[in-house]
Amino acid sequence: MDFLRRALNPWGEEVPMGVSWDLAWAAVALGALFVIGHALLIPKKTGGGKADADAEEAEGLPKKILRHSLGARAFHWSMTVAMFVLLITAFFPLLGIRFPWVTIHWIAGFGLILTLIYHIYHALTKQDMGAMWIGRQDVDETAKSLKVALRASEEEPPRSGKYPPDQKMFHHVATGVTVGAIVTGLLMMFRIDHFLWGQNPYLFSDAVWGWIYVVHGVCGIGLIFLVIAHVYFAIRPEKRWMTWSMIHGWIDRDRYLQNHDPKRWVVARGETAEGRGDGQSS
Amino acid sequence: MAVIRDMIPPFELYQPAGVGDAVRLLNEHADRGWVLAGGLDTFDWFKDRIKRPAAVIDLGGIDELRGIAAGPDGGLDIGAMTSLTELSENGDVRSRYPLLAEAAELVATPQIRNQGTLGGNIAQDTRCWYYRSGWPCYRAGGNICYAATPRSMNREHCILGASRCVAVNPSDTAPALVALDAQMVVANVSGETTYAAEDFFIGPDIDITRMTVLEPGDLLTRIRLPAPQAGARYYFEKIRDRKSWDFSLASVATVLDVEAGVIRDARVVVNGVAPYPVRLGASEVAVRGRSPDDEAGQAAGAAAVAGARALRHNDYKIALMRNLVRRSIRDAA
Amino acid sequence: MAENVIGTDIVPPDLRAKITGRARYAEDFRAEGMVFAKLLGSPMPHARVRRVDTRAAEAMEGFLGILRASDLPPVEGLGEGALTDEPKYEGEPILAVAAVDETTAAAAVEAIRVDLEPLPFVLNPLESLREGGPNARLDGNVGGRGEALTVKWPDSVFEEADADKLPMGEPTTEWSIGDVEPAFADAAVVVEETVMHQSVTHHPMEPRSCMAYWQNGKLYIHGSTQSAARTRPNVAGMLDMDPDDVVLVAEYCGGGFGSKIAGSPIMAVPAALSRKIGRPVMLRITRYEENYIGRARAGFQGWVRMGFRTDGRMTALDLYLVQDGGPYGRASDFSTAATVASLAYQPENMRFRGVPVYTNTPPRSAQRAPGGAQIVAMLEPFMDKAARELGVDRLEIRKVNAAGHDGWVGSGKAPVTSAYVREALDVGAELFGWEEKRQLSGRRKGTRVNGVGIGLSPFVAGSTGFDGLLVVRPDGKLHVHQGIGNLGTHSIADTARSAAEVLDLPWDRVVIVWGDTSKHLPWSSVQAGSQTTHAHTRANHAAATALKGLLQELAARDLGGAPSDYRVSDGRVYRAGNPSVGMDFARAARRAIQLGGKFSGGEVPEDIHNMTKASVAGLAGQGLIAAAKDNYPHEGSTFSWVISFAHVELDVETGEVEIIDLASAADCGTVLHPRSLAAQTNGGVFQGIGMAKGQRWVFDPKWGIPFTKRFYTARPPGILDLPLSPRFAAVNLPDPQTPVGAKGIGEPPVGAGEAAYACAVADAMGGRCLCRTPLTADMILAELEGRPRPYGVLDTHV
Repeated sequence: MDFLRRALNPWGEEVPMGVSWDLAWAAVALGALFVIGHALLIPKKTGGGKADADAEEAEGLPKKILRHSLGARAFHWSMTVAMFVLLITAFFPLLGIRFPWVTIHWIAGFGLILTLIYHIYHALTKQDMGAMWIGRQDVDETAKSLKVALRASEEEPPRSGKYPPDQKMFHHVATGVTVGAIVTGLLMMFRIDHFLWGQNPYLFSDAVWGWIYVVHGVCGIGLIFLVIAHVYFAIRPEKRWMTWSMIHGWIDRDRYLQNHDPKRWVVARGETAEGRGDGQSS
Repeated sequence: MAVIRDMIPPFELYQPAGVGDAVRLLNEHADRGWVLAGGLDTFDWFKDRIKRPAAVIDLGGIDELRGIAAGPDGGLDIGAMTSLTELSENGDVRSRYPLLAEAAELVATPQIRNQGTLGGNIAQDTRCWYYRSGWPCYRAGGNICYAATPRSMNREHCILGASRCVAVNPSDTAPALVALDAQMVVANVSGETTYAAEDFFIGPDIDITRMTVLEPGDLLTRIRLPAPQAGARYYFEKIRDRKSWDFSLASVATVLDVEAGVIRDARVVVNGVAPYPVRLGASEVAVRGRSPDDEAGQAAGAAAVAGARALRHNDYKIALMRNLVRRSIRDAA
Repeated sequence: MAENVIGTDIVPPDLRAKITGRARYAEDFRAEGMVFAKLLGSPMPHARVRRVDTRAAEAMEGFLGILRASDLPPVEGLGEGALTDEPKYEGEPILAVAAVDETTAAAAVEAIRVDLEPLPFVLNPLESLREGGPNARLDGNVGGRGEALTVKWPDSVFEEADADKLPMGEPTTEWSIGDVEPAFADAAVVVEETVMHQSVTHHPMEPRSCMAYWQNGKLYIHGSTQSAARTRPNVAGMLDMDPDDVVLVAEYCGGGFGSKIAGSPIMAVPAALSRKIGRPVMLRITRYEENYIGRARAGFQGWVRMGFRTDGRMTALDLYLVQDGGPYGRASDFSTAATVASLAYQPENMRFRGVPVYTNTPPRSAQRAPGGAQIVAMLEPFMDKAARELGVDRLEIRKVNAAGHDGWVGSGKAPVTSAYVREALDVGAELFGWEEKRQLSGRRKGTRVNGVGIGLSPFVAGSTGFDGLLVVRPDGKLHVHQGIGNLGTHSIADTARSAAEVLDLPWDRVVIVWGDTSKHLPWSSVQAGSQTTHAHTRANHAAATALKGLLQELAARDLGGAPSDYRVSDGRVYRAGNPSVGMDFARAARRAIQLGGKFSGGEVPEDIHNMTKASVAGLAGQGLIAAAKDNYPHEGSTFSWVISFAHVELDVETGEVEIIDLASAADCGTVLHPRSLAAQTNGGVFQGIGMAKGQRWVFDPKWGIPFTKRFYTARPPGILDLPLSPRFAAVNLPDPQTPVGAKGIGEPPVGAGEAAYACAVADAMGGRCLCRTPLTADMILAELEGRPRPYGVLDTHV
């Protein structure tokens, strides 16, 4: 299998055209393998966190603790919609399902950009950026969790901050891949006709264009894998509470205490999820 | 790889005697197969060594694909392998569908019309010279339209229906068939499907590598014309750089249903201006209920060009299409 | 008395074979063990070959060899080789491969990897003249004398000119007659325009295929060429060998239009490849390849200013031409254009400035009226514009400015031999019905507007000093050996008619020997420049006069009396007043063989060319032989004129133009062959109309690659684009400086047709001139609709 699609430009020079679409199937296969492998290797009860909530720790905490604000949820789900539209419009035509996908694709791309702009603004102004930062503790925690998961350790799985390390990692990889797709996608807008700005397919040399297409393709294919993995985790029984939190916004106190280290995700006492929209975690 | 032209590379030739065999072969060879009808489009590709199918399925020996017969409901049933000469000289076609006879008669040259078939004329590939030069454009599976850059030579390219690719449909008979509301019968191993001519042609927004719904394995077998309307008026015109062996810069095919001096219904179709023959719904609406005169023609022309977008060198096509639509209403007979 | 053969229609000896398909062109020949070659053309418009990897090709079964530029003698200076390691246009041949068949040769070429370093390239001459603009050649961008120059104009030159005006910096060529500035100051009307004529390829029907083999050190070469005698030394020169060792066979030529004057560079490829691999090699040039190596007409970006008196007389002509000249040599179109303009209008004052710029487009060569056709088509519409402004009839303004017998040409004001231009204008106007037709001008019928136009076009029409070679064989026939080529113009037959005329011999007793240098041909003019009719009616006249003298001498010797007592007529030499005393040609031939010496090629005139001498030696003893050089007096330059009249209808809704009527008249001296002359003239008129109407040579400016590589994209006119019955008449008055009175006709009709069409279209547009070619429907419609023009006036290769 070739990783790249190549072609001869009008001067007979070999230039990359894009990533091989066979890799999309490889991503699907890899996603499936990951899901099956993970499902078989990791029993569902080893979801992480303490088995029982500590009553002492629970004192003064509201019953429902806000994990995702309305704004954060709005972002997540609008991004989800944009992402699915992008992936469907990108890959369904390759499956032989024909429809006028290009305009929908780039409009969805702009939708994605808008959600990201909102997300960045939101993160900068209202959220704690540090909550997503991967620190030393996350590394230790991951190592411990892995041992537990692989039954190499009998210890209780460690509790995480607001976001567990795997979630953080997913966030960062997804960010990289999405930004890659967006930047290349914006450049690719110069190759097509639309009302926003003038078409100039000769903005870069054809070799540079080729690599832009390769990066866009790799990111798109990467997103297939990431989406598969993400959806898989979202529906895994031990993680469904997190999925629910992305719908309702809150988690209950027990979940909080079982899975999160109150020292690392400090929730203000006496406030309910409905009380304040944001900033409860610090 | 060095460019060699005018030398046909070797291929396996299959000469089925029936449609059944042909579609079986097409199915067997799928996207490595190639349908050969009159060869006018095919041999250009082959001689340029740009398209190199492994298997060529020659329809020349399939008698059931030839000929013009009466269809059900007083229409006409035309085999896809009927030559353009036979079509344009056929008495029924001339008297009842003069639009189609005229369109067929304006194709290329007498030699090409003798050899070329109706099916081939309908299903032929675009003549965009960037694409035909074997450049890796969108239509050839690449990621650029060389004809839509600020420096491109795109006088012949489209003003409507562009989506990344700006090539135009080169067929002369296609707009006539859309105007006549013809049906296209497509066979493959799973059976037969019939498409309205209007839906048979597709734009690059749907599939950038094909001009029609025909997928590998499909075979256009017959073209069915409905019975003509009593009192219908027709107009066909093709504008080209020279009077023989030339594709259209723009063409118009119009059918007006006129009763008591009033246009009851109209089908106005243009080609050479978009990647597919375009039915101009707005122009049709603009003339309904009016008398077929210059005023109605002007309204139709103005409606036709709404939304047309010129490339660097083809702004004239907007005026040309507007004028052609205008006179098709005014001068339909 | 034999029927006078001058001025009657005859069946040329090559006609039947051409019509029945028996004629063998270069591609039709086969030789024992013959193999095929294919060319590898450059994919880039300008590049340097870094490395060639031929391993995959060499491994193929049936592969026989490769020819590179280094296998051919080096090319000096601005010259063009058959192959190159620095291709200067896309498609230029880099190497050739020989294989047992063409399929293998093609596959082998495809398997070769050529590593190329792209170099800067330029398509539009003006871009090359800008500071920092690309040069088409590594050694410069403008043609000088034997070397390339680098010419760059300051930015201010370009800033002064807007998009529609030619920038005019320092020219490399300049001459003037009188002083134009005061003349413009005094002029009643001054017309000033920027105008362009595009380059177009030749597109002869027969591509320049060639087959070659070697036998005992001699090269046998079958090629497509306009000339025979003159191609042989050219081929020898390309291969650095003695012309005597070249046998050229070129009996038929499917058109050249100036692109195959003395063969083509590519003929060296099968010749050298054959020598290298020791097998006969056929190189079939495809239509696609012909587009690249088949030559083209130079284009001009021009500016003109013309000043007129109230009566229409041109008092000043100021002309600036930037030439688009391809990458090699130095096409002289631009300087010829100035010469032709001077002759066409006889301006009282004139200035010419020009720059021949190199471009990375296929090479230029003469194309039927090189320079002349372009300039006439560019300037004639402005004559109409001036006529309109002055209120002078358009026929009249041409008469006022037409050259008479005292006419002159060029910067040196050289005299012309004859000029029946006003007579031709009258003949043409009568034939066309100018008086009635001009009333139609601008008249509208539905959506169609009428336009009428006149195009007046002179071009050079003759040279002198070549040899004639005649043999009367024992079959009693006159064998006329013709060193000229068989371009398809019937010249091989028609120039022999002067010999028949001198000998008063019926045409069916004349045998033409041509197209094969092993058949002993005399030194001849190239079959180009409309020289042949003039040059070889003279040469054959001279040889026939010599032959007649020999016949008389022979008869006197055998039958008594003085040579002057004998007449020659109807295939006999006989005593005046007593026809029974004499001998027929068969007997004369036999006697000549018996007598030998001067009668049978044993002695030859000193002044004939060595090639003719060698041919006479080869023929010696085969009959009564006469060879002579054309030493007839000739003062001044010989030119012919064609004036065409066109009536068109322009559809204002589509921009389409239909030619309703065409009529042309010529001053080409005495008419030799009326039917052939009409065909030749009308063909030229059509070719010119093609350039004006729609023929294109489109390049992608980003990649420097042409698209009009097929007839259907290049769009030369088809028969349906032309009226069914174009009319033609000739003045038919002899040129006094040549014995038969005939002048050439090949070239002047091109400009006449093109100009008449351009003028008629402008007339239909109310006098508006688009000032460029081609006048396609899109250009016309955009102008009529007031929409943006598809192309600017200075855009090239569109």
